[in-house]
Amino acid sequence: MGLLDIVLEVVAVVGALHLVSVLAFVGLDRLPTAPRAMWSTVRAANTPLVALGAVLAANGIVRRVGVELSWVVGVNVTGAIYAIEGTFVAAVQSYATPAATAYFGFVYVFGYVYLLTFPAIAYALREDIGELRTLLIAYGVNYGIGLGCYVLFVAYGPRNLMPELVDSLLFESWPRSQLLTSQVNENTNVFPSLHTSLAVTVALLTWRGDSLTRWTPVAIVLAASVVVSTMYLGIHWATDVVAGTALAAVSVAAAERVEAQRDRVGGGGADCRDDRDRRDGRVPE
Amino acid sequence: MDHRPPSRLTRRRALATVASGTAVAASGCVGRVRTMSGWESRNQVTLSIKSAPADEDPYALRLGRQIAEWLRSAGIDAQVTPVSEQELFRQVLLNREFDLFVAQTPTRFERPDSLYSLLHSRFVETPGWQNPFGYSDLDANDHLETQRRATGRERAEAIERLQYVIARTQPFTVVAFPDDIRAARSDRFDGWRGADLRSPAGYLSLDRTTDEKSEGSPTTRATPTESGPAEDSSASTLRLAVTDRRGTSNLNPLAVEFRRNGVLTGLVYDSLGHVAGDGTVEPWLAASWSVDDTEPPVARVALRANATWHDGAPLTAEDVAFTYDLLADTSLDSEDDDGGNTEGDGGATGDGAGTDDAEGIPDDEEVPSPRFQGRISLVDEARAIDDRHVEIRFVESTPEIAVRALTVPILPKHVWRDRTDPAALGGIEIGSVTDALVTNNIPPIGSGPLQFVGNTPRTSLTLERFDDHFLVGAEETALPDGVDGPPAFDRLSVRVVGSGVSAVGVVTDGDADVTGTAVGADTVPRIGRSDETDLVVHSRTPPYVVGYNSLAAPLSNPQFRHTLARLIDRSTLVADVFDGYARAAVTPLANTEWVPDELRWDGVDPVAPFLGSDGEIDATSAMEAFTTAGYSYDEGRLVRTD
Repeated sequence: MGLLDIVLEVVAVVGALHLVSVLAFVGLDRLPTAPRAMWSTVRAANTPLVALGAVLAANGIVRRVGVELSWVVGVNVTGAIYAIEGTFVAAVQSYATPAATAYFGFVYVFGYVYLLTFPAIAYALREDIGELRTLLIAYGVNYGIGLGCYVLFVAYGPRNLMPELVDSLLFESWPRSQLLTSQVNENTNVFPSLHTSLAVTVALLTWRGDSLTRWTPVAIVLAASVVVSTMYLGIHWATDVVAGTALAAVSVAAAERVEAQRDRVGGGGADCRDDRDRRDGRVPE
Repeated sequence: MDHRPPSRLTRRRALATVASGTAVAASGCVGRVRTMSGWESRNQVTLSIKSAPADEDPYALRLGRQIAEWLRSAGIDAQVTPVSEQELFRQVLLNREFDLFVAQTPTRFERPDSLYSLLHSRFVETPGWQNPFGYSDLDANDHLETQRRATGRERAEAIERLQYVIARTQPFTVVAFPDDIRAARSDRFDGWRGADLRSPAGYLSLDRTTDEKSEGSPTTRATPTESGPAEDSSASTLRLAVTDRRGTSNLNPLAVEFRRNGVLTGLVYDSLGHVAGDGTVEPWLAASWSVDDTEPPVARVALRANATWHDGAPLTAEDVAFTYDLLADTSLDSEDDDGGNTEGDGGATGDGAGTDDAEGIPDDEEVPSPRFQGRISLVDEARAIDDRHVEIRFVESTPEIAVRALTVPILPKHVWRDRTDPAALGGIEIGSVTDALVTNNIPPIGSGPLQFVGNTPRTSLTLERFDDHFLVGAEETALPDGVDGPPAFDRLSVRVVGSGVSAVGVVTDGDADVTGTAVGADTVPRIGRSDETDLVVHSRTPPYVVGYNSLAAPLSNPQFRHTLARLIDRSTLVADVFDGYARAAVTPLANTEWVPDELRWDGVDPVAPFLGSDGEIDATSAMEAFTTAGYSYDEGRLVRTD
């Protein structure tokens, strides 16, 4: 037992969530044509998909090499973050209850994966090529900038700096989850919070888009829960969350701009839209 | 002289200041600027405390934060910086980039001579745990040297005086000796209570739980292809969950920043002797030795017959002599070609030029190993007499101390002789460091009871029993003292987990047999709740210390350090941080019979008592103490001129 079991567990739970969500938010009527629809949509979105794949591959390398590099070229900002916000995360944790811990632990692992993957599947099923491309580009920008920050900034999370005040709630309530999270991230990579930025990115895109309107409340609630969970579980600082939100805003703006550019140059697609108004309407918060 | 026309440099500086628009220069009074420039402004004393994060070390960072709080109460701008343990050791032990650090030392200080390399000023320039503090005190040097060559009353007195000097001048502050807490499952292996898991011998002393089926017979050899992280749960694999990932990517016994206590490399590499339970050094790889009581002493060591390296090459006396040369200077005087050193008349010692440069290699920088320097400094020369016999000449010391030098790992010459060149990165040589010190040494070729199988950097490591080792199939009488046979497991798998809590969780879930690194006192209830998991607590541990960088002001001032030490309340730390699972101490030798009664901990430090009570600093007393030490306060901030 070990990592594989946890991965399978995540796949099973998230798969079930997807199934339910597809039925609820995409509709049964699309399922017969689903394979063909997905294939053509994914093909249409292959450039951002390949780019995202490249960024994720780089992520793998950066996790191995970047941590070492980070200690050489990076700045240790843990002390500065602590000077800014002090024991805010400890204050968040003071409201901990077993039920809340279970909820936020679930959201942090399963909810997060579901939140990030479902819109991609839904867009593909609904053949919303433009929205899928925007989503993938936004993910790529998030990861790209996030990884750059991880190399430039060395920061430990609150549970590492003030273990006497902040509990590692996730790992204490579910020790095996650390097998998973340590595979995905290093404990010096907390600034900014990619959990926050990617979750907020999804929330922003679904809120601004017009194809998954019924799912939008789910996305917003889930994203907010993910954001809170990063602090509640003692993994991220409030500063990381703020920076993550800013990163989400930048990513969404950049992705929409890229897509708008493409639409203008290439004549766009069926769901071509004027994005200028949208960009001016700044991101909330 | 104040009225001398300003020099060009000053004028240029003044002009620059004008250009930058500062008010003083704008007044045009250049002379005044210059006069004032002699008086540097006074700034608050700023100290950064480095320590490993909670994931890697259950206590260090909490100690650091509490100490920083006390320092701030005394008007010092103190900050805690978490750095990974590997980076901490690199910054502190190799680069000396630190003010204060909090860490557990690698040595348990069970012998007074362990202080020699830690504090003697001859090691100020040597990287590693050799005087990392940059401490130099002539009295301390005298006592350290005396205790090496004296016996009886004279030695006891020197050791006593040494401890007084340390307690007064505070090269480092001993905080406490923590308990070594582990979670262990007894369903597959037992003998945990007697096993010291900070030493290789502890793992060798474990037993297979008796009702186990004997399918994994000792002769089962793993096929070379299955070298991944051993997920198999067959009874013959001992599975460790560790929080220290360094051993999975580096197994170089000389790389100080990758080693905590050297257990893994200690299982892969044998030494001539090992430290038995009673603290004496007993033969291990050596079949026997005799030490002449001459001055200085000389040891004649006979190796065990048929000793081999993991790659099948025979282990000879030549390897032993080479090891001592290499540890003393890993460049082995690279100017000489290797042949000059090795193909001599048996007197090959690395000093290719002969006996007149016994002091070192002239015109060439020595690159000593950052580990083992204390022990290597006891050796004058190691010489192969024939294939199985080595003669080791020591420096002036008593035989009891000299034989400590026989506990360094023996390295294969055929592997390490190619690592004496300056290390290069992309063909560019970088600094005075040799390949021997920077190689990750994977796969390691040793002669120890376990050999390397495979590793996934930062994730896992697998070792297996080396069936040609002398422990396997040895007769009862041929076994070293305190060891009752070969390892009880065929394989040892090490899996890295994120934190102590996870390590305990992995053990209680049955996915590992023991936490391979000590865990924090906060996990004790969790271990206690699990039925199949035993709580194993050992009290023979190295202490946590606060180290000071004595090479930089104001920490170069012993009085300042002494006053700093008085801001640390060990009782509070033991109660709050260690939850009582530690014993406060005044001197590093607190666990030995060498402590004078006046230096025993009885709730207060008799030499540097806490400036406050119940964990609260008395700000007035602290200010008085620093003022007496020659420092001053400005609005409650401790200030000094830079």
